[in-house]
Amino acid sequence: MRRFPFPFLAKSFRFRLYFLYSATIALLTGAFVSFYVYTEFTGFRSALIREGRLLATVLAQNARLPLFAENREALWTLAKSTGRYPSVLQVSIVTADGKLLTQVKERTAVKERTIEMEVPVTSPGLVSSPDAVLLGHAAGDEDRVIGRVRLSLDTSDMRERLRKLIYASIGIGIAFWALASLLSYQILNRVTASFNLMMGGIEKIGSGNLSARVALDGDDELGRAANAINEMAASLELRELENRELQEELINAMKLEVQEEKKQVMARLIQTNKMTSLGLLLSSMAHEINNPNASIRFSGHLIEKMWRDAVPLLDGVRREEGDFYLGGVPFATARDAVAENAAKIVENSERIARVVQGLREYGVGGGTKRRPNLDVNGAVSGALSVLACQMKQQVMLKTSLCPTLPPVNGSQQQIEQVLINLITNAMQAFPNGCGEVVVTTALDREQNEVVVVVRDNGVGIEEETMHRLFEPFYSTRLESGGSGLGLYISQYIVADHGGKLVLTSRPGEGTTAQVRLPAAEPLTSG
Amino acid sequence: MPFLSLVVAVVYLLAPTLGLCYDVLILQSLRDKGYQEAVQGFKRECTASSRTVVLSDFVAADLTRMVREERPKLIIAVGERAHEMSIKVREIPVLYMMVITPRHRLPANHSGVGMLIDPSRYVSVLDNLGSRRIGVLFDPSRTGAYLKKAQSAARRSGMDLVVREVRSPRETPALLDSLRGRVDAIWMIPDLTAVSTATTEAFFLFSQGEMIPVVTFSDFYLTMGGAIALSIDRHDIGRQLGEMARQVLDGTPVEELPAQSPRKFTIKANNGVLKKLRLSLTVPGGS
Repeated sequence: MRRFPFPFLAKSFRFRLYFLYSATIALLTGAFVSFYVYTEFTGFRSALIREGRLLATVLAQNARLPLFAENREALWTLAKSTGRYPSVLQVSIVTADGKLLTQVKERTAVKERTIEMEVPVTSPGLVSSPDAVLLGHAAGDEDRVIGRVRLSLDTSDMRERLRKLIYASIGIGIAFWALASLLSYQILNRVTASFNLMMGGIEKIGSGNLSARVALDGDDELGRAANAINEMAASLELRELENRELQEELINAMKLEVQEEKKQVMARLIQTNKMTSLGLLLSSMAHEINNPNASIRFSGHLIEKMWRDAVPLLDGVRREEGDFYLGGVPFATARDAVAENAAKIVENSERIARVVQGLREYGVGGGTKRRPNLDVNGAVSGALSVLACQMKQQVMLKTSLCPTLPPVNGSQQQIEQVLINLITNAMQAFPNGCGEVVVTTALDREQNEVVVVVRDNGVGIEEETMHRLFEPFYSTRLESGGSGLGLYISQYIVADHGGKLVLTSRPGEGTTAQVRLPAAEPLTSG
Repeated sequence: MPFLSLVVAVVYLLAPTLGLCYDVLILQSLRDKGYQEAVQGFKRECTASSRTVVLSDFVAADLTRMVREERPKLIIAVGERAHEMSIKVREIPVLYMMVITPRHRLPANHSGVGMLIDPSRYVSVLDNLGSRRIGVLFDPSRTGAYLKKAQSAARRSGMDLVVREVRSPRETPALLDSLRGRVDAIWMIPDLTAVSTATTEAFFLFSQGEMIPVVTFSDFYLTMGGAIALSIDRHDIGRQLGEMARQVLDGTPVEELPAQSPRKFTIKANNGVLKKLRLSLTVPGGS
């Protein structure tokens, strides 16, 4: 595309249009003036040549007889009379063989500014010789050239007239151009006023002021365009308002979401903090319990050992002195009861130690080392022992452990953690706190897997919740202390052991959690 | 058999001679319409056997041999060239026609009809116009004899011929100019020196300038400004010569037949010119 020659003015549509109009008018005026001057010039020249030819022809006609008679005086008179014409510079009359008979030179002029012409002087063909006339010959039609008249014409006058004509034409042309340009400017001013109004409106709208409008009335193209632009601006303004409202809604929603998220994060932080504190508490408790418990167990062992040593002596006494009472109980009864109670002291003390050790390990970590011969039933028992204190009276916990379970390769602590999470979830699935939790272990021979099933008859899990159960930090009980990490970690641990954790639930009927762990060794068939 | 061969040979030899047996040899200068008219008039009047030879058809016609071999009784010379060629013939009569200026001294066996109308006819017309001083341009070598007759005729009519001798056609305009104010009319005679194609209009320009009539020898000039023209009748000239030829063939010696002027002519006038010159013409009697 051709670029406008003046870039600084190219942005003005009015000026460009005016420039084009003005240039076109100037071009047309110039062309017209040139054509007119050229036409006049050729007209002047033709008229001069015509005049000269006429003079030469008249002279040739008049000079016919003097030329034939070679009457130089008469020829000079004729040439002189012709030479008096202003445009004639020089007149020459020569014979047919070129002999100059007369020449009249009125003025001299530059040769380039003269027009030379030559007219033959002929003896009329109409005239026949007397003998031919007597013989009745018709007149001939061939003229016989008997000489020539030569004229030099001066073009100075013609050039002067032409110069004046050019000046006048250029002056008129410039005046016409100026007038036409002025009129064009006025017309363009009127015509482009609408454009300017439209451009002003469009620029305002373009700068963001969507409430601005193009103030153009009319049913013409511009009016319709202005209406279309106004409608577009109105539509854009409406969309802008809607967008603003939506944005505000979005920001508010985001704010709410952020607050909710923040609340959840804070809950998790609190829970984590709680868990940390609980770990520290458990560690501290374990230390405080283990010391007296060790003393109890030692005392129990000591009592047992001492009783064992004392029994033969007391037996001898009883044999010798008869039965006697110890602590209000006959020795015969007390003899076994003391040993049995001492054993119970040791056994329960050891149980306390194991529970404390389990709590400590659960709280502070450790014990994650895998064993190739992990007894799953033992892990179930360990988990139940940890949860023993949390057992509620209304919840009935039933266990059905397969006695012939093969060992699995795994960490007892981690498996216990999984089971604690599952049993805890099951115990929390009752809205009124009453329900039944059944923990069973079984062997899936086909899959060579050990299966632990934790089933409750609680409220079940909603469909939409089922999809998000294994998401980290997703919990329906964040407010009540849930971390949202139980199932996430459990699934991770089970998967890490090569097994899988499957949850099935029906809302209102309960939930079944199935932990499937591969057996450590392949089972023998039968 | 030899006799038959002899007869055939004689017939063969004499046949051309028999075919060329005629009385009149017509020598025509060239194939021209005017000559044709005159020849036709001649043949109408003279029905004698004739042979026409157009000289322009030959590079060099040998008239002497023709006369010697063909032995015509009469030669008709038509036109200047034929007239000049026939001058040499002395043994048989020669009649010329369509010759403007025949030789001044012709052999005795030569006669004919000229092309110049009798001057008295012109004088009569001029007299009729009321002209007294008549300007005439002529070349003595061409029309000197004719002018003498004209002068005689004019004198008889009480007119004065103001003559100018023209030696070259270029002199015509100047000589005409010398007549300015001295003549009442111009009599244009068919003089090839005085009247040429280049100078013809000078007569009529002079006439226009001087407001005097030009009496000329052909109605052709009426269109150029001539007032009155006396034109010859070429056909009648032929007939006029035919009558002379018949007389010659009938035995009249040609020496007894003097050269004649055309007996028949027509007078035509340009009424417009006459009206402008305020002249009127009463056609004189005779043809």
